[in-house]
Amino acid sequence: MSKHQALNTLGRSGNPIIRSAAFQGKVSANEERMSLEGAVNKTGILLFLTVMAATVSWNFQGPLMTLISSLGTLVALVSGIMTFGFYFFFVGWLVEPRPYNAPRTAPIYAIGMGFFIGLISQQAESMYPGIVIQAVSLTFFVAASLLLAYKTGVIKPTQNFLLMVFAATMGIFMTYIANLIYFSISGNNFFVLTDNGIGGILISLFIIGIAALNLVLDFDIIEQADEQGAPKYMEWFGAMALMATLIWLYIEILRLLMKLRSR
Amino acid sequence: MSYITILLGMLGLLSAFVFFYFLKFKASTKQTERGNRIKWSKFIPYRDEASNEDSKKSQDATFKDD
Repeated sequence: MSKHQALNTLGRSGNPIIRSAAFQGKVSANEERMSLEGAVNKTGILLFLTVMAATVSWNFQGPLMTLISSLGTLVALVSGIMTFGFYFFFVGWLVEPRPYNAPRTAPIYAIGMGFFIGLISQQAESMYPGIVIQAVSLTFFVAASLLLAYKTGVIKPTQNFLLMVFAATMGIFMTYIANLIYFSISGNNFFVLTDNGIGGILISLFIIGIAALNLVLDFDIIEQADEQGAPKYMEWFGAMALMATLIWLYIEILRLLMKLRSR
Repeated sequence: MSYITILLGMLGLLSAFVFFYFLKFKASTKQTERGNRIKWSKFIPYRDEASNEDSKKSQDATFKDD
């Protein structure tokens, strides 16, 4: 039996950092623990729910569906904050992360975002036929490539990696918030976000790169939670984190393709 | 439907299969057995609810491993 297989059998890592006291002795023997297989199944369930909601939203366009999609996005946002928390620079956690909410919030998040995705995808498809298949395919291609890179150890997420990705993600988030405020005042978006010139495309590529690197962090969360024998609800948490990043990645790829097709 | 869409669609199907298939496997030891891993438990308090429930239910004494 190889060392890795032995670790798998014992269900805990030999890594001295992971075997620290923080992860030991707090889970009772009869408590159900998470597994990679469980996380994969939950990701499949969430993806199914998102696709179902997107199909409804795609096929029944109109003012009512726009309202449902807006409400769905809002509910998804609240579900996300209730699970992942809300962190703000220099202030700290405004809402603490509550991963044990994930079994309840993850399906709500998936359905809510599904309605939103269906709406924007249908609009994009009506402008540029075939764009949705291309965006979905490229999203899975990026996700599969990064998964292989992570599993084989080509990409190794470290504290510095986390800091860099987190700072960039927060920067993008702040830009989107600023754009939203600017849009509500002037009715226009930031030129750099909608520009189909080389600058706008480079910005889109940068955002896609950061979204893709967030996937690596999600893989690491799932992997580590499984190694440490985390509670069962962490399967939902990992799946929800993965879905949130996949949805973000899909939207950014769709946006990039629209820029490219409009040139 | 253009050839590029069909080609990308097939690539997407293959990628989705690869994604869900390899997600089930543990990462290589090169990935898992290194000292500079991110300590996710510092950021995600996933023991909170479980440990609270344990403290309510369990009346047993606890002993340190080492």
